[in-house]
Amino acid sequence: MDTVWGNTNKLFFKVNPSLKFLLVSSLFILYLFVTNLNTMIWTALLFFILYFFVGGLSGKWSFWFVILTLIVSLFSASAMIFFGKGSSVLFQKGLILITRESLARGILLGLRTFTFSLIGMVFATTTQPVPFFYSLMQQLNVPARYAYGFMAAFRMIPMMAEEFVKIRQAMRVRGMNRQKGLNEFCKRMTRYCISMLAQSIRRAQRTAIAMEAKRFSMTAERTYYYKINWSKKDIYFVLIIFCTVTLGFVLSNVLPITPYTNVLDH
Amino acid sequence: MAHEKSRNLKLNLTDILVTIVIALVFGLVFRLMGPVYDLVQPLGIHLDALLYGIWFIAAPFAALLIRKPGVAFLAETAAALAEMLFAGSGGVINLYYGLLQGAFSEAIFAAWRYKKFSIGVASLSAFAALIASIILDAGYAYLPLLAGWNLILYIVFRLIGSILLSGLFPYALVKGLEKTGVTQSLRPVTKEDYDVLK
Repeated sequence: MDTVWGNTNKLFFKVNPSLKFLLVSSLFILYLFVTNLNTMIWTALLFFILYFFVGGLSGKWSFWFVILTLIVSLFSASAMIFFGKGSSVLFQKGLILITRESLARGILLGLRTFTFSLIGMVFATTTQPVPFFYSLMQQLNVPARYAYGFMAAFRMIPMMAEEFVKIRQAMRVRGMNRQKGLNEFCKRMTRYCISMLAQSIRRAQRTAIAMEAKRFSMTAERTYYYKINWSKKDIYFVLIIFCTVTLGFVLSNVLPITPYTNVLDH
Repeated sequence: MAHEKSRNLKLNLTDILVTIVIALVFGLVFRLMGPVYDLVQPLGIHLDALLYGIWFIAAPFAALLIRKPGVAFLAETAAALAEMLFAGSGGVINLYYGLLQGAFSEAIFAAWRYKKFSIGVASLSAFAALIASIILDAGYAYLPLLAGWNLILYIVFRLIGSILLSGLFPYALVKGLEKTGVTQSLRPVTKEDYDVLK
């Protein structure tokens, strides 16, 4: 597993998690309104470059992840490419009708999904859950019960994994994994779901009762074990994202790669 | 009268923790379903839309289980946030879809004033989440610019998927959980429960 994570000493690991979260979320709104194919091509390219510099995964993992994401993102645009509306036909066979307009639109959609996946990956690989939820409490005033709820829940995932293995072993030792057929498969799945969920609910309940017994969230004022603060690195972070975004828009005007400046035009 | 008031609908720590744990489980399911969903997309005939319904499951499941206001919204949003933190494909997109789907699902349970938790209401909440996803897709994926037959196929597939996977399936799961007895301590106490004690 030690090869999954690259250098964790990078700048993005030290940025305030709330700021990172808010900025990343606002990018969605921004790119939702971009209909210029050139902008999207340049933006995807720039975030692709940025990803390799700031992302948390090590080289090999990053590479395969990016390739897979790109393929998958273009898959997601396939309906628009093959069956979208448009007038100048490029290819037609049966129901498939690829037009210049639908192709441009499809590529824009694919690249947009690709960009969001990259941004999401940068966020996910450089943000640890515990500092993230501490920061949500301290900077965005998220109520402690929700934030601690998340942190407690994250701690339960390894227990669930362990439980899953145990249930599987218990079923195997009783010969419950040998029956074939769809009906048996459904029954087996239900058995897993019910037992896993019931156990998780019981565990969550016990944890909550234990927390309340220790007077959790009884006082309005509380102190934090980890203090998440602002630093100069936050400014660098904002500047990097701002430059990447702006450069995308500027380059699309200076060096347009395609003639499609508005894919919604017919 | 005192009984009516004692139907305490405020979320306590147990409700929140149980909801978030469930949401995290579904967040993990969403993350693992992501690649499957992506792989059935390239045909362009929306086979993926049949699977899409699973992404609506957190809200109706949590609401059927805990039966309090706010649970559906919290569950769906938390599941979306979890998917984002697990680096699901699409990243930040998930969060916005989760927020809106959760709000729409919640509205259905609110419309019945959190008193009816039947299979019909569960299916309606899945349907509401479907509407939310279509609203977002119309803006994000330019749905109106798809060929007519393709768009209809997309909506029909997604409708079937959402009712099956997020209406009937969570209902069946909760029914199964009721047999184990874990639900009794989660739900708000009702008048009938007090009547039993008389």
